[in-house]
Amino acid sequence: MPADAVISVRGISKRFGGLLALAFIDFDVMPGDIFGIIGPNGAGKTTLFSCLVGAVEPTSGEIRFRGERIEGLPNHAVVKRGVVRTHQIVRPFREMTVMENVAVAAHFGAGRRRGADAARRVRDVLGRTGLAAEAHALAGTLTIGQLKRLEIARALATEPQVICLDEVMGGLNPAEIVGAMSLIRSIRDSGVTVLMIEHHVHAVVGLSNRILVLNFGQKIAEGPPQAVLKDPAVITAYLGDN
Amino acid sequence: MQQLVSVTLSALLAAGLYATMAYGLAVIYGVMRIINLAHAGFMMLGAYVTFTLFSRFSLDPFIGLVVVGPLFFFFGVVLYRAVGKSMARSGATPSIESLLLLFGVWLVLQNLAYVIWTGDTQSILTSYTMKSIEIFGVHVGVPSVFVFLASAASLIFLNVLLKRTYLGKAIRAVTQNRDAALLSGVDADRISATAFGLGTAFAGIAGGMLSTLMAFTPDFGRSFLLKAFCIIVLGGMESVTGVALGALVLAVLENVLGAYTPVPTSLQDAVSFALLFVALVAFPQGLPALFARFERKAIR
Repeated sequence: MPADAVISVRGISKRFGGLLALAFIDFDVMPGDIFGIIGPNGAGKTTLFSCLVGAVEPTSGEIRFRGERIEGLPNHAVVKRGVVRTHQIVRPFREMTVMENVAVAAHFGAGRRRGADAARRVRDVLGRTGLAAEAHALAGTLTIGQLKRLEIARALATEPQVICLDEVMGGLNPAEIVGAMSLIRSIRDSGVTVLMIEHHVHAVVGLSNRILVLNFGQKIAEGPPQAVLKDPAVITAYLGDN
Repeated sequence: MQQLVSVTLSALLAAGLYATMAYGLAVIYGVMRIINLAHAGFMMLGAYVTFTLFSRFSLDPFIGLVVVGPLFFFFGVVLYRAVGKSMARSGATPSIESLLLLFGVWLVLQNLAYVIWTGDTQSILTSYTMKSIEIFGVHVGVPSVFVFLASAASLIFLNVLLKRTYLGKAIRAVTQNRDAALLSGVDADRISATAFGLGTAFAGIAGGMLSTLMAFTPDFGRSFLLKAFCIIVLGGMESVTGVALGALVLAVLENVLGAYTPVPTSLQDAVSFALLFVALVAFPQGLPALFARFERKAIR
């Protein structure tokens, strides 16, 4: 495996009873990548993210973050090391303000900030994600577009080296998608490696420098976006045999 | 008029105590989604520990609470570390294992108390137990006033803890969304242990306060557990202000029924039973959710 990979996944599989949700997946993510993961519904994309951050323990295989094995570590410990994810279905702390939501992550994440230092980080993240005006609003009152940004803001506040974005564009309107794309680029430009699951093919192709395609838990293709989209196996998975 | 003042005052004094014992249950339910059936056992134990500190070391029961709080916090954390894994939250509803386990803990505590303190009825008699003071022309027992003040102090402490500290933010975070808390780097297991300790401490303090108001045996605490259930169901299980509101509603109802209707005081516990029933049927989400629904209707 490449020595400078941020994330190295080798032979990861996950079995839920009789269902093999992930079958022996290998891939490497390099620093500064925007690494897209696509595939039809039920392909195992979200399970893969769950394994990466420790929400789910893989049945077999190993995951290395900067050479150090992280599979099987508890979720919060992985976050403290610098790997975080967002959820497709947003999970805000509804009875807290936007600011408090982000402050929890700034304190308990990899940054472990407190006091004025934490407040500065919170302001910075809210500014970057366009939530500064909502800082004092209760998270439960936000629109879905704002909640998606809060999900990213909270992940960024943990000061990750790797951020896994699970369908952050789902349910957004075209203008919001343009905004989300530039936000993701700015996250990469700030030195954070990005993994993203996305159904919005235009967005993935436009952003990613590498794409991994999953189908029924198997890796069917990996490579630069244009090459992957021309791959016959990918075309079959998405469009069928005819 | 005199009676109205008297009823209002005793309702308010009772509400403080009720809120303290209900918060103990609420903080554990919020973080771990388990119903702490051992709550009554912790209250009973709190009463006996306060009693022992008073009779052996002649420590005033209200100063004793300063010992009981940290002691029970520690006890709760140790208990969680010992058996917490079997109570681990499995979903949105309390697991049957956790209910059985905590019921077992209650039984063990009860029998332990029989062994240590025997089944004799005990009570704490201080120099001020029989004294009363006059507030707005109504005579109120000094212990009730102290209980109210101690309740207010512990509730202010809890509120500051939850609102102003990172630990409190983490407790609220796990309560509101456990997954998201983990993803923010919060060690939810540690927070569960802390919450269990806090809940136990509040039960111990409530028990200690009760010991200054009434006599107790190792069976003590059952009717108060029921009241605490009623309050957290009314309060919407997770909301701090909701619990305070639930405590007030129950206290007012008990006192008003006692003063203005022929309902005998022996049926006071039936009030909380009836209220619990009505609450579960009419607004199972609790009062805060009910108010939110009305607000939304009003806006529309």
